[in-house]
Amino acid sequence: MALSPALQLDAAGFSYGAVAALSAVSFAVAPGERVALLGRNGAGKSTLVRLVTGLLHPDEGTVRVGDWDTCDYAPEDLARRVGSVFQHADQQLFARTVREDVSFGPRALGYGEREVARRASDALEALALTAHAAQHPYDLPPALRTLAALAGALALEPAVLVLDEPTVGLDRALRAQVAGALHEHVARGAALLVVTHDLGFAAETLDRGIVLDRGHLAYDEPLATLLASAERLKPLGLVPPAVAALSVALELPGLPVREREAAHTLARVAGAQPRP
Amino acid sequence: MNPLTLEGVEFHYPATEAPALRDVSLAVAAGEIVALVGKVGAGASTLLLVAADLAPRITGGRLTGTVRRRARSGIVLPTPWTQLSGMAFTVWDEVAFGPANLGWPGREIARHVERALERLEIAALAERDPATLSGGEVQRVILAGILAMDPDVVLLDEPTAELDPAGARALWRLVRVLAGEGKAIVVATSDLDAVPAVADRVAWLEQGAVRAMGAPDLLAEEATCEAGLGTTVAGVWRAAGLAAPYPLTVADAIQRWR
Ligand SMILES: Nc1ncnc2c1ncn2[C@@H]1O[C@H](COP(=O)(O)OP(=O)(O)OP(=O)(O)O)[C@@H](O)[C@H]1O
Ligand SMILES: [Mg+2]
Repeated sequence: MALSPALQLDAAGFSYGAVAALSAVSFAVAPGERVALLGRNGAGKSTLVRLVTGLLHPDEGTVRVGDWDTCDYAPEDLARRVGSVFQHADQQLFARTVREDVSFGPRALGYGEREVARRASDALEALALTAHAAQHPYDLPPALRTLAALAGALALEPAVLVLDEPTVGLDRALRAQVAGALHEHVARGAALLVVTHDLGFAAETLDRGIVLDRGHLAYDEPLATLLASAERLKPLGLVPPAVAALSVALELPGLPVREREAAHTLARVAGAQPRP
Repeated sequence: MNPLTLEGVEFHYPATEAPALRDVSLAVAAGEIVALVGKVGAGASTLLLVAADLAPRITGGRLTGTVRRRARSGIVLPTPWTQLSGMAFTVWDEVAFGPANLGWPGREIARHVERALERLEIAALAERDPATLSGGEVQRVILAGILAMDPDVVLLDEPTAELDPAGARALWRLVRVLAGEGKAIVVATSDLDAVPAVADRVAWLEQGAVRAMGAPDLLAEEATCEAGLGTTVAGVWRAAGLAAPYPLTVADAIQRWR
């Protein structure tokens, strides 16, 4: 039996006055699914994030988180089910220390101090931020502030995690750290929706790709097939990431889009011994 | 004379013990593009702030060594949305804000604004309120505003962070065009795969110091890959256990594969 969706949009539409940002968008995300939301600048990705977090309500159609219609809930109540990091995550931080900031969410949900402390510590640990816990968020470089905001979302231990550009300015090690933390969270049954222009990160970390084009849903399919298809991506403002381009160029069997898989396939074809 | 020269620069932010930059020397010629790569916190952003005369002037802190700018510079910060003037009700006025502050005549301003909007592919947004734009739209507006001032030294910190992949490619092409027009360009980026096609030289920063400087091939060397700063193609090649030298780009890989 299929799990009932953690997130479901039915013909959802939204306009900012005269600007139509989303039209008739429908899809569902099951618990444990890892979904990339892609598309060119202005395609409507952040607007969709605002609908899922209840900051905006659809003009048309519905947005449901589990069995909750977002129109019936205030964003702070939806936070019981939805954790989010917005595009300019800096602006999401306001406490005096990183730990305080990460504790804010669970505390606002009414958990006791011990539970709040456990959740904050776990989230900081998952993102290797423990060493920065006592720092003021604004003393961190922008990249680490994004991570602090992500820790705040993880500490909610939400059923749906929605992230808008979580890897901006991160180096390879930090991107891997984020990927690891997200995988752990999803392994506990959460649904993950990540808006990103970093298609390499998407390929490594996520499985399914939804592409928006001027507010309309253009594709919804496995990322591995989508990212290897340069001619379909092009009109959407997207370009295959390096591993996909390499696989296609060398005609690697199975067209892997993840670094490890590509390295193993390359080694097999070339008769080399991959590094452990 | 180089438009931008740093010699033996050391910089401390207020209230931090370790220097953010140590003994950094870098000369950038007119028409040259230097890419700064490094882990988060290695000093690339600080170097750009110093080059732009924002550190220590705005940030506070202590600078020793020499910074020489022979020309006007423009910087795009990694948080471009903080660079909106807050004084403009349309994108057009936002992009015109910098040129107007330079005291140029109206026609000159208009010419530069139109061209910058065109170059960043945002002419259609000219009448929009900058406060209501998407993330990538804002980044384009800020880039346009800097270019409209026609600076001779262009300093870019993660200029493609919020651009869609096609827009990022277009921006990197534009950066090359700007270099062709004689601008000296320093760009910090975590998009290592874009560097080979863009940069003339790469400076690898580690803990505030220049660890290595050289042609973009640097991003296919063992030490760089080991540090997580190689291109993706070099990294995959290396992980496959294939022999060095690793290919830098997909095009190199194709050649090697034959
Ligand atoms: N408050 C607003 N008022 C008017 N138009 C808006 C507002 N916010 C967003 N828009 C417009 O709605 C469209 C969708 O914006 P949105 O922020 O969802 O795009 P996005 O896909 O997240 O883009 P990006 O990749 O640049 O972040 C854009 O054309 C944008 O200019
Ligand atoms: Mg957005």
